[in-house]
Amino acid sequence: MTYYIGVDTGGTFTDVVILDDKGTIIFDKALSTPDNPALGVMNALTNAAALLNTEVETVLADAARFAHGTTVATNALINRRGAKVGLITTVGFEDTTIIARGPMGRTLGVPIEQTLDYIYTERAEPLVPKALIRGIRERVDLEGDVIAPINRADVEQAVKELLAEGVDSIAVCLMWSFRNRNHEDVIKETIGSIGNGTHVSLSSEVAPVIGEFERANTAIVNAYVAPRLASYINDLQERLGAQGFKWPLQVMKNSGGACLPSRIGREAVSIIDSGPVAGLVAAQYFGKILGYDNVLATDMGGTSFDVGVIYRGEPAEEKMPFVDHGLPVRAPRVKEVGIGAGGGSIAWTEGQRLMVGPQSAGASPGPVCYGQGGTAPTVTDALVVLGILDPDNFFGGRMKLDKAAAEAAIQERVAGPLNMTVLEAAAGIYDIVTAKMADLIRKVTVESGYDPREFALFAYGGASPAHVVQYGAALGIKEMIVPHSSAVFSALGCVLSDVKFIYEHSDPLYVEETQEFIDAFNGAFNDLEARVLSDVAASGIGADEIFLVRRLEVRYEGQFNEFTIPWHEGALSFDTMGQIRKEFEERYEARFGQGASRSIHPLEVITFRMEAVKATEKPAIAQVEEAKNNEGVDLAKVGTRPVYLRRYGQLEAVVYDYDHLRAGHTLEGPAIIQRRDTLILVPPGYKATIDGYQNTRISAIEG
Amino acid sequence: MIVDPITFEVVKHRLWQINDEQANAIRTMSVSPIVVEGNDFGTGLFTKDAEIISPGAYMLIHVTTMDTIIKNTMAIASEINDGDVFLTNDPFIGACHQNDVAVVSPFFYEGEHIMWVGNVMHYADVAGMDEGSFCINADNLYQEAPRYFLKIVDRGKFSNEVERTVVTNSRLPDMVALDVRAQVGAVHVARKRLHEVLEEHGVETVTAVAEQSIAWAERKLRERISELPDGEWKTQVYIDGDRVGSDRIVRICLRLEKKGDHLYFDYTGTDPQVAASINTTENVTNAGTTAPIQALLCRGEIDWNSSVKRVATVYVPEGSVLNCRPPAAVSVGVIVCSSLANAASMHVMSQMMSGSEKYRDLVCPSWANSINAVNIFGIGRRGKYVGNVLSDHRGGGAGARTFGDGFDHGGFALCPVSLMADVENQEWKLPVLYLYRKQLPDSGGPGKFRGGMTAVTAVMPHRTDRLMWKSQNTSGADQSNALGIGGGYPGAGSQASVVRNADTERILSTWDIPEYYEGFGGDLKHLSSKSDGFLESSDLYIYHAPGGGGVGDPFHRDPERVRVDVLKGAVTIEMARLAYGIVLAADLTVDVEGTRQERLRLVEKRKSEANVRDGDAVVASGNGTGDQPIRFVIEYVEQIGDDENGMVRCTECHHVYCSASEEARDHAAVRYSPLRKAGPWLAERWAGDSPNFHLVEYLCPSCGVVFDVLERLQAEALLLGEPKRELAATPQ
Repeated sequence: MTYYIGVDTGGTFTDVVILDDKGTIIFDKALSTPDNPALGVMNALTNAAALLNTEVETVLADAARFAHGTTVATNALINRRGAKVGLITTVGFEDTTIIARGPMGRTLGVPIEQTLDYIYTERAEPLVPKALIRGIRERVDLEGDVIAPINRADVEQAVKELLAEGVDSIAVCLMWSFRNRNHEDVIKETIGSIGNGTHVSLSSEVAPVIGEFERANTAIVNAYVAPRLASYINDLQERLGAQGFKWPLQVMKNSGGACLPSRIGREAVSIIDSGPVAGLVAAQYFGKILGYDNVLATDMGGTSFDVGVIYRGEPAEEKMPFVDHGLPVRAPRVKEVGIGAGGGSIAWTEGQRLMVGPQSAGASPGPVCYGQGGTAPTVTDALVVLGILDPDNFFGGRMKLDKAAAEAAIQERVAGPLNMTVLEAAAGIYDIVTAKMADLIRKVTVESGYDPREFALFAYGGASPAHVVQYGAALGIKEMIVPHSSAVFSALGCVLSDVKFIYEHSDPLYVEETQEFIDAFNGAFNDLEARVLSDVAASGIGADEIFLVRRLEVRYEGQFNEFTIPWHEGALSFDTMGQIRKEFEERYEARFGQGASRSIHPLEVITFRMEAVKATEKPAIAQVEEAKNNEGVDLAKVGTRPVYLRRYGQLEAVVYDYDHLRAGHTLEGPAIIQRRDTLILVPPGYKATIDGYQNTRISAIEG
Repeated sequence: MIVDPITFEVVKHRLWQINDEQANAIRTMSVSPIVVEGNDFGTGLFTKDAEIISPGAYMLIHVTTMDTIIKNTMAIASEINDGDVFLTNDPFIGACHQNDVAVVSPFFYEGEHIMWVGNVMHYADVAGMDEGSFCINADNLYQEAPRYFLKIVDRGKFSNEVERTVVTNSRLPDMVALDVRAQVGAVHVARKRLHEVLEEHGVETVTAVAEQSIAWAERKLRERISELPDGEWKTQVYIDGDRVGSDRIVRICLRLEKKGDHLYFDYTGTDPQVAASINTTENVTNAGTTAPIQALLCRGEIDWNSSVKRVATVYVPEGSVLNCRPPAAVSVGVIVCSSLANAASMHVMSQMMSGSEKYRDLVCPSWANSINAVNIFGIGRRGKYVGNVLSDHRGGGAGARTFGDGFDHGGFALCPVSLMADVENQEWKLPVLYLYRKQLPDSGGPGKFRGGMTAVTAVMPHRTDRLMWKSQNTSGADQSNALGIGGGYPGAGSQASVVRNADTERILSTWDIPEYYEGFGGDLKHLSSKSDGFLESSDLYIYHAPGGGGVGDPFHRDPERVRVDVLKGAVTIEMARLAYGIVLAADLTVDVEGTRQERLRLVEKRKSEANVRDGDAVVASGNGTGDQPIRFVIEYVEQIGDDENGMVRCTECHHVYCSASEEARDHAAVRYSPLRKAGPWLAERWAGDSPNFHLVEYLCPSCGVVFDVLERLQAEALLLGEPKRELAATPQ
């Protein structure tokens, strides 16, 4: 037997998915152990091995792959427990990361309501304080020409000073280094020779793109999280090796691919926030096998609601990523857009309006009905009052909910002041939060020129299945899917991910029909390809095992935001020139409407991108046999309960126990499917079918 | 129709998002750095009667002036049909200035006119006698860019003829062409989405939500205003230099009267319109004046919409610089008069809120009050004529707060997301080379809480022979307008300087970059606020935006905070001693005893140098009797007893200034000093000692605490009977 293992460490649980070579999935969890995450990983593996009636050693010895989503990098950043980083930059620009493009240091990554609160929106503290920033005398200009050469004595002096300050990691960002990396290379050599193994992140390596503030931040964040992440991964690799695992483990990146441990130093910044992206990879996989090209992946937890978009089989890409308040980065990553709408979002009123969020009760004190000291009514409290959640059967009965307390809180804080009944207020809270979720999905689709009705909607994470049909219907979506493995969807995404090397390089070129342009264009891709192939080879992967994807970022001359277009044409020639404008203007008009493009306006190619994908070996997920004629569905019925929704009024919903539903079963709303890990609400007019993969697929009843 | 709170929230959120989508469309399509990075644009949704429903979160005054444009459109247009888009840049129709091109479009649903949709973008150049169209050399309207009122889309049909007219009148036609399409495209996007909302929720609900959101916001706003103390507050701000070659000083006077739930702003006393382009229209003044209501009072809690205009009345004398009449030129007015109207309003509102226990925390005296913008034009890559505004002026400091320092590089109060561009992006778009862009130490106004720091930038021509500059700095080359409050000092002024024939060959080849001005060699000249000229290949342009003003007496600042400021380069050791009375040991720890003595010495010095009016020197005991109510007026000043019989005293030593019907300032000890007392970056043209302005500190004659610091026009001082200070300096 060969196993394929995915483990995703989350805030509360560490999830594990094991796929065997027949495509059978088993999954389990263990509590996360934030102080020593490897422990939680090993515990989860032990639990899963028990499900297979075997030992961890056996599973690991027979494992062909171990892919891991980790929060070590994210937590090091968010809790500010990363390395002590020094920054080396060009003289005159030592304050770039402190000034933070002025207001960007205050407003980036902060919800809009908060930025409108002028006085209370503080600036983010920079990761590298002024005392650990050193300027080097050197200057390169926009064409990559050296204005002032670098001076090795200056570099040595700066490195020595930073080492004397006790830094254990150094980030380097010189002006225009992405056009000429020689000066940064000199600094890397110097640190290599006198730095006693100090980590170094060069901006020309981690983010060779225009914009010194974002490029410097990317190098800094990488330098900040890399040492801790590398030591964690090494430790985990040793532990796994000691129990028989023979291969390099693979680490999930926020670009949707995995990387090898040898590349952590370069790609640490891309490991941040990779867990949610892994869920998107799983949605992409299911979209593919179920025949959906366009997929919306929605994940609602206690504090936030996140949406990812897969269009024509490919995840959308984030154009302006940031990793924390005031910290933009420029490493390619998959787009996941979130709002503060979760089960813990607080409902409140100022006497006129009913508002939900952005404040959240989070996990602690949590909703009022948890009885853990929460006093502000939340979305979860509304769900209890409406009858959607069963107070006695929450998460498999592991927790009792206090419905009376939830009612009292809604009465006191919302219904009373607004002169509504508790039930009306609770139904309003549910509708408002669901409308916000629909608005967010609308935003991420229509703003890219997509029509949400052309998408299938996946809902995972503990809270979304209770809302999915409501926001799906509001958007006119026809197919909604709650995956069987929704509770461990990110771990599944790890197993299903491919190994990816992503390279980009800003090399702004004015598009013109000249041999010079054609040569420069082909030269840029050739350089990228050489670098990609050399790194691929250094990772022990053969050139024949990968396929290359080329992309261009193009804009009208003068614009600031580019459209990414695929480049399938190979070497550019006079014959294929027209393809650049065609691809660009097609996307432009899809987004802004016919007539928005201006075919006489010159184009600029700003960035060249290349992805090398090594498809990993993984068996197709197996299907189970489907029940015929809905046979046995009644065995899953455990009763009925009253549910109130504004749109339908009072309903009597049939309650099904998911553990007793089998593939092939179909049921009609109003119904509630109670799972141990979540709850699915099927309103009137909708039906739910369990498919061969045991996914719950919900659609409108026709006619 | 009253919409229930749930439907209300659902529909309103949707409308907000539609408007935001309009904004994102503009940001993606525009080629103007001022729009994309400076966020100098606005998008709005309006009722059929031109009331603002949703103004977005970008340049606020663009939207709060668009309602006037829509009203004028209804009056002017011969016909208004479904699918029309009107375009205007006429300041006398409502545009902020000629560069700010507005498009407005009626939204019809099933044949019925339901709403208006619109957006405004700043175009990089729309003609006129000066490059960039801020006509700093104009003395009347007809020398400025042409003013249009056009129909760019007629019943859904885009007019190539109209586009041609607009594009052809620009020095940068390629940029303008894409911007026109961006505006029309954004309106198209918003209309499409509105159609979906109406299909889903119906006309009646959507229009009711729009009206209800304004009414509800108004009610909340009135509640807040009622909770503020009634009274009257005044301030003055100044423009130094109205056009190239003129250092004329123009004064803006603002009085705020608050009674019950209404705010009354009165600009009586403001100087008449001038034969230069700094004038502005009443519409723009209104928008600038009411903006702080949104920023300070609404916070993120009360929706921004037309409600603000219902709770405030703004009186602007006709024919003044703030409410000019043709043929007054107006192209620079938006960054001069409207910014200063905003600054003055922020200052009087902060004085008012200082007296409220509940709202004191929202006090903020200034927020980068001068816009030190410069247009650069020249021959760029591939021989193309290029030009644009550099973005470094968006790194100015915000005023301090009553509980914390001002934000370093806080940006503009009128647009909190107006970003500085990356230096590399600037160098990519314009033929310039940056020598430095860095924080400017001692640029935050001293105070118990320090004003925010600004940044300073040095650029020179690169890969081109020469560059033209056009500086349209608001003001601040003389006094700073970076107001403090409650004893806080003003921050840095707003200054541009040129170094001719610098030693660039040596500096570039070694990258041995001097700290500020000194060390570049050549000839340094500090410029007036409006200036233009050419930078030759060895000339440098160095400039900084204003800092933020301080809050509270700097001698009350926690010494530890000053030490940290010194360590992070916000305050120099020298200034730590002069402005804050902090003595640092060699290892940069605070010398506690030395500091105590230095502060005592400086307070005594203050008192000895201050003038006290006859009869005010007597230290009266002001402990009051029994349970008389005590009301906080402003930092270090409180009123004890009622308005009729009470008195005003010092919070620190209880010295009584005067009766409650009088003002503490009129009975305080007063010290006059050169502006440089507030910091090294004020009145740089006069080495810190302007012939026009001096610094006035109002202090308690008994304990010496400073409770107000002003920059005062010398001529006013003479009128007020204040002694004339001897001046040694002459302009450099």
